[in-house]
Amino acid sequence: MTTATLEKAAATEAPRKQKVILAEGNEAAALGVALARPDMVSVYPITPQSSLVEHLAKLIADGHMDADIVDAEGEHSVLSVLQGGALAGARTYTATCGPGLAFMFEPYFRTPGMRLPIVLTIVTRDGITPQSVWGGHQDAMTVREAGWIQVYCESVQEVLDTTVMAFKIAEHHDVMLPVNVCLDGNYLSYGASRVELPDPADVDAFMGDKDVNWHVALDPLRPMAVDPLTGGTTGKGPQTFVRYRKGQCSGMQNALRVIEEVHADWAKRIGRSFAPLVEEYRLDDADFAIMTLGSMSGAAKDAIDEARDAGKKVGLIKIKTFSPFPVEALKQALAKVKALGVIDRSVAFRWNCGPMYQETLGVLYRLGRFMPSMSFIGGLAGADITIPHVHRVIAETEALLNGAVAPTEPVWLNEKD
Amino acid sequence: MGRAYSTIAFDPAKCDGCGDCMTACAQAKTGTDDIARSRIQIYGREGAPDKTFELALCRQCADPKCVTVCPAGALNKDSTSGVIGWDASKCVDCLLCTVGCAYAGIALDETAGHVSKCDTCDGNPACVPACPHGALKYVTTANIYNEVGDWEDLFAPGLAGCQGCNTELLMRHTLRRVGPDTVLATPPGCVPGMGSVGFNGTTGTKVPVFHPLLTNTAAMLAGIKRQYKRVGRDVQALAIAGDGGASDVGFQSLSGAAERGEQMLFMVVDNEGYMNTGMQRSSCTPYGAWTSTTPVGETSRGKTQDAKNLPLIMVNHRCAYVATASTAYMEDLYEKLDKAIAASKTGFAYLHVYSPCTTGWRFPSNLNMEVARKAVETNFVMLWEYTPQDGLHFTKPVDDPLPVTDYLKAMGRFRHLSSEQVEHIQKKVVENQKFVERMTEHAHVG
Repeated sequence: MTTATLEKAAATEAPRKQKVILAEGNEAAALGVALARPDMVSVYPITPQSSLVEHLAKLIADGHMDADIVDAEGEHSVLSVLQGGALAGARTYTATCGPGLAFMFEPYFRTPGMRLPIVLTIVTRDGITPQSVWGGHQDAMTVREAGWIQVYCESVQEVLDTTVMAFKIAEHHDVMLPVNVCLDGNYLSYGASRVELPDPADVDAFMGDKDVNWHVALDPLRPMAVDPLTGGTTGKGPQTFVRYRKGQCSGMQNALRVIEEVHADWAKRIGRSFAPLVEEYRLDDADFAIMTLGSMSGAAKDAIDEARDAGKKVGLIKIKTFSPFPVEALKQALAKVKALGVIDRSVAFRWNCGPMYQETLGVLYRLGRFMPSMSFIGGLAGADITIPHVHRVIAETEALLNGAVAPTEPVWLNEKD
Repeated sequence: MGRAYSTIAFDPAKCDGCGDCMTACAQAKTGTDDIARSRIQIYGREGAPDKTFELALCRQCADPKCVTVCPAGALNKDSTSGVIGWDASKCVDCLLCTVGCAYAGIALDETAGHVSKCDTCDGNPACVPACPHGALKYVTTANIYNEVGDWEDLFAPGLAGCQGCNTELLMRHTLRRVGPDTVLATPPGCVPGMGSVGFNGTTGTKVPVFHPLLTNTAAMLAGIKRQYKRVGRDVQALAIAGDGGASDVGFQSLSGAAERGEQMLFMVVDNEGYMNTGMQRSSCTPYGAWTSTTPVGETSRGKTQDAKNLPLIMVNHRCAYVATASTAYMEDLYEKLDKAIAASKTGFAYLHVYSPCTTGWRFPSNLNMEVARKAVETNFVMLWEYTPQDGLHFTKPVDDPLPVTDYLKAMGRFRHLSSEQVEHIQKKVVENQKFVERMTEHAHVG
């Protein structure tokens, strides 16, 4: 979806007046959660997520939010408590990152299998070791194949708005999958920014009725066995297991449509538009593109503006929805260019490149023509991806256009920082 | 289900041998003070180090040998009262019944010239109020079974437990007691292994039931219970978990839920290992025991560490209720179940049930109750309960325990033990008993 299209999709009905506040990304996420009116939040602190759950606790303590808050003894129990709550019909929320997400993995993998529409913010943090408490996408990328929907935010405002939308996406009957709202640790979590706060009445109208456990429940009024042993080789085991897994995959594919619908509805009711799957920036007449994810996209857009001023025909492809991978939308964007540089804030160890680059290679194959491309890795463990870094990416990608051979190894943007 | 009847129960610890009960019986039944004619007889116990007494009295047996041996049909068990009646018009005075009875409950009344036996004075026995020490009680000792029989069995018939396993018994009784407004969590182990959560879309349970992870049972249940509380519905949260998940990998979520006072009943069925997965060691496995991961070989003689005492750890969470129980003492278990359910309405209730494993402990399947009983009679395990208000106290104190070998020798898993290992176990049994005894003195924190 182009920027121009986004502008056209702006509000057709005037939303109520929006309060303007200054908020960090973590506070914006908490305010988004409050607007979505969950029944239950469960929390465990971890850097750089902690101020997010502190804000939640304060919102509840001050009576601005009516939710049961469970201070669990670790992330594993945090998500387990929410699974129980969701099976009893609760709208549920939590946030974590890095080591906390690793500790949570056992119930994390199970959540989409049970089709529980839990919303979990990953305040992204690099993976340890080396020991580190700073931002990076390694945590979210490491679990990208666990069946959760994962969307990445570029700005603090997008964090707030996407947090509300995440509940609507997760609970859509054609989806029924948990959602990670990924917000960059440090950059967005602590980055204070102007934020417009939607009116709760507008958000309530957007959210509609809550219906969380219509499909699976632990409720004495409609007793059922939840998650009996399934699979094996006997009886209808194989086909039953396949039905569940295939259903998960269908839900993920349905999410591509639902994410677009929900973003359009949000734009209509609240008056703010974001590209739901893939954003194209100055791409239509571009010869080559760079590709970004999350908060680095701001610096990338500035760098592209400067490069355009200098006569370079470069555009930006920004991924918002990383899981499910937006193959068709990305294919349409890639069809417009002849060379590609992909910036990742994490590592795909097996391929010696960035994970988003690795995923994109599959889409390039579907284009049916060869396109030279390069993997750039930057912003690990809180390092900056600055406008000069992006200019380097632009320059090296442009070189591909002029016949340079793409290296087989990634370019490490902060190697000498 | 069979009926339970009222009987006269005797507590030897309270008897001082005064004989008032015999006098009362003689007066009521013969109009004399001739205690030789009393149908209840108190005898000094021969060879007892201290002065203790034994009772000779008709037990009104469920399977009465006196009735079986009587050639004249003069003795019959009344199906309404349970009392074994004697019919003078049919009796041929052969006295075979006095030989058939193991309890000296029917004897020759020489003055009357025929046998006589207790008829419970039509439900109002004269001996009971006559006892000045409260050593006699007229009680319906197994009354719980009358009640239980009327409650719905919420498990499907034919669960697939091992032969002789008493966990199925425990599951059925527990579910009958908590009733249908329950959500049941059965983490991976023997309980779902029997089919309680079912296979490929079927279920073995009539209440909502699920597999939590082995690690997160208490946390998932907490979430369920909290949401029902939030919407104003009274739903019982119940876990029936194995010792491995509770004491090892699931301990964090258990401890966390207990600390937060989550409202649930968490029942651990302690068979002292990962029996469902092939009898591997857990931290609840006792010292010296063979398991498939503490095998017996040239350099190994079973587990080298003592068992973790999980229920005592739960006491230190100051849970609303903590108790240990045994399927060999069902009345005790039922009392604790009732208290635990009541406590789970306001806080975390923890019930630890010692449950012998016929398969993993290597003993014949017909001996499960016997092994469970021996564990208690030797003080290998102790039955007690705790509340923050009343502290910790024994419910089945065993002051004169049998030697621990009486328990150990019943099982193949201890067959290899050296005398040093047995000595170690016996020493630990005494230590543990003293430790818990000290807790009964100090645990009351008011």
